[in-house]
Amino acid sequence: MKKDIKNIISDSLKINGGEYKEIRIEENNSTRITYRGSSRENISINSGIGGCARVYSNGGWGFSSFNDIYQSKNKMTEAISLSKLNSSDSINFEKNSVGKISIPPRSIKNPKNISLDEKINILEHYKDLIINKKNINGCDISYGDLERKVIFSDSLGNEIEQSFIHVILRISANSTDGNEMLQSGFSIGSLGNFNIIENLDKEVNECVLKAQNLINAKKIEGKESTVILDQILAGVFVHEAFGHLSEADNVYENDRLRKILKLGTKFGNKDLNITDGAKIPNLRGSYDFDDEGTPSTKTPLIRDGELVGRLHSKETASKMNEKNTGNARAISYSYPPIVRMTNTIIENSNNNIKDIMKDTKDGLYVKNWYGGMTQHEMFTFSSAETYKIENGEIKETLRPVKLSGNLFNTLKNIDGIADDLLINQGGGCGKGGQMPLPVSNGSPHIRINNCLVSSG
Amino acid sequence: MKKIKNYLSGKFDQHEIYSSQSNSRSISFESNALKEISSKQSQGTAIRGIKKSDLTFASTSSTNTDKFINVIDELSDYPIFAPINFPKYIKKEKQVKLYSKDTYKFPNDYLINQIKLSQDKILKLFPEALCDSGFSLIESESKLENSSDLEIITKQSYSSFYISVQVINNKDMLNIYDGSSSSLIISEDKINMITEKIIKYLKLGEKIVESPKNGCPVVFTPSGLLQSIISPLLVSFNGSNIAKNLSKLSNKENTKILDEKISIYDNPLLDYSPASKNYDDEGVSSEKFHLIKDGKFISGYYDLKSSKEAKKETTGSAGRSINSQPMPTTSNIIMQKGKDKLDNIIKSIDDGILIDSLLGAGQGNELSGDFSANISLGYRIKNGELIGRIKNTMLSGNAFDALSKINHISLETENIFGTINLPYLCTNNVEISS
Repeated sequence: MKKDIKNIISDSLKINGGEYKEIRIEENNSTRITYRGSSRENISINSGIGGCARVYSNGGWGFSSFNDIYQSKNKMTEAISLSKLNSSDSINFEKNSVGKISIPPRSIKNPKNISLDEKINILEHYKDLIINKKNINGCDISYGDLERKVIFSDSLGNEIEQSFIHVILRISANSTDGNEMLQSGFSIGSLGNFNIIENLDKEVNECVLKAQNLINAKKIEGKESTVILDQILAGVFVHEAFGHLSEADNVYENDRLRKILKLGTKFGNKDLNITDGAKIPNLRGSYDFDDEGTPSTKTPLIRDGELVGRLHSKETASKMNEKNTGNARAISYSYPPIVRMTNTIIENSNNNIKDIMKDTKDGLYVKNWYGGMTQHEMFTFSSAETYKIENGEIKETLRPVKLSGNLFNTLKNIDGIADDLLINQGGGCGKGGQMPLPVSNGSPHIRINNCLVSSG
Repeated sequence: MKKIKNYLSGKFDQHEIYSSQSNSRSISFESNALKEISSKQSQGTAIRGIKKSDLTFASTSSTNTDKFINVIDELSDYPIFAPINFPKYIKKEKQVKLYSKDTYKFPNDYLINQIKLSQDKILKLFPEALCDSGFSLIESESKLENSSDLEIITKQSYSSFYISVQVINNKDMLNIYDGSSSSLIISEDKINMITEKIIKYLKLGEKIVESPKNGCPVVFTPSGLLQSIISPLLVSFNGSNIAKNLSKLSNKENTKILDEKISIYDNPLLDYSPASKNYDDEGVSSEKFHLIKDGKFISGYYDLKSSKEAKKETTGSAGRSINSQPMPTTSNIIMQKGKDKLDNIIKSIDDGILIDSLLGAGQGNELSGDFSANISLGYRIKNGELIGRIKNTMLSGNAFDALSKINHISLETENIFGTINLPYLCTNNVEISS
């Protein structure tokens, strides 16, 4: 089969036409188990194979995806003819090639080697820890593992084989007072390590307690407030508040935005340092080569509060005359690669969270996440837990909140960065219909002044 | 396929095979220039088998039958409890139209030209604007067959058009998005309407004004109403949530839950609407039904499994993709229009807001109907007129509270993305903060 695929790929790339050509063939195998209420809702194994051909001509792309890999040559011909409809000026890509390379999957405890029986036993146990408790009316548990094998080859001579194994788990407890429905949960993930799914009794029990506590928690009134974000929510914050605008495809053909996001512009205070990189090893956003065959990097985005870099694909890097950072990613063969984040991190500073907390007279301690979204300079993100801070101490539980901000003000309003960096791998990112793409986000605790907050 | 069928008949008391294939083409413009033309071909097969009340589900996009059978075999040791019966075929006298052979035939040149015409109109008035836009066509065929001799083949066509416009002034970024979908080609008239609406909002958005204080009346456009209130509201009508006591509406049939001006129904029988269907994805005949009538809760939307769990009848609302089990899904959602003209509603407001678009809606506690979001496109109403755009303002509230007392519902309705039809609605029962 493998030899068969390689022949299909090399034959497809031999077809004449196009300024640049690539082909990607993928094989996916995934397992998904979900519980809802008090019972198992779904257990499924999905297997798939497919590919895509992508061609650059006349300043634009032709793209053709397919399930039937024996159609590859026809699909390459189609992509070539589609690309000819473009009518802009072409740019020259870097001509780098690593030649033939094969990278085995990174795995500590491969979920493929764990029986369905064992997976189910672990999840059933967590379900039993949640249900039949006071004011609890059910659980939501969603487990997934995915193995993705990708062969990429292009007209520059690259031939790269990579494999990825992802494990994710979200657990939440639903509580009710008979009228309102509330929930508290957490998400975790790893690159190929089933160990993270095990020994979570403490976290699950806490989740039940938090869901119960939400029943009597008050909603806040919308206002500007000082907020301290835990590491997990601060990770979501950096992804939404800054990460998306560092993706060069938002900028490269937008002259006004290019001026606003000029390298060297001040966005934050002296101790704000933000980095993204697939080269940071063993995280869900880690890889050796992106989906255009470019080697991964570790990219400083903000240093000492100043914009110093951004994330690129072949096209955006060439067009902006900056270095390609290897951030072109596709969620599967059905989609072309677009510029995406990988592992995005606010670096540690030298404050202690206890001191930051002590220094906060009136504010909110916001933890964990529900979600987040960005539209250019505006962004929102939501906490899963919220506590009142009074005179430097954490007080009563409040209902979750939604936080909202603006790139130009909010980063400057960060006035405290701690030294306790943690990375969360339980999230996924959505862009251009491609969701959820594996990413990780990390940060130490941070404090933001004058953040617009409303009840979530 | 015969091998799979034989295997399923031997292994299970009941079985079902769902297969689909589709071809699609799409054109994407970025920053006013053609960026990508793509074509996609996809296929897949999903099966469900039931022995007694134990259900097994598996899916694949590969054609390796032996491997698929092995997976089904493995999964059948870990079934899900589902005491359902796959339905028999019921012949329908009148079939809703879902397919036009012309839709997929429109050539790429035509689609590119339509986008350019729309874009040029905007750029003529706003030369600094950057438009991202797209036109897509899909043709698909699905086949559902089960052990009760049901066999339904559905052919569908689909087209969609969208345009998203960005105007940057200093550090202010105004973004306006609109689009539509249909089983027929999106008409030039429709594209004109979308373009004119975007131009109207771009003009109105040039001036930025302060937000009014909390407690003011808020008018939602149909699109703003969907994003903020109707989406979280529909979560509570999902039969699966009702069955699992995760909805406020469990056992509340025929009780008044909203203002009596509100009636909402689900109508799968509209010709050429992309959400229409003759039969749902489990083969149950789909019919029009009320979710809310005159403020009273009538029914949730159910598939076979959730209706059994909730001890109700299925509403023929099963929807599925190849890789997921069927689940309750709405078709065309329609809210009954009101009596007030939109102009008169706006004229009656001394100080308030018109909300068209939100950022971050749907990422909170939707099970209770709560919503909270940044108003990404909203205008201030002062002395009966729209005076400019508001920024850095948040909207929050609860869908049930917001609709418990309505000031006005408009006579005018709009289609949102071709499948949802809502009026403009004015309420005071939401919170504004800035």
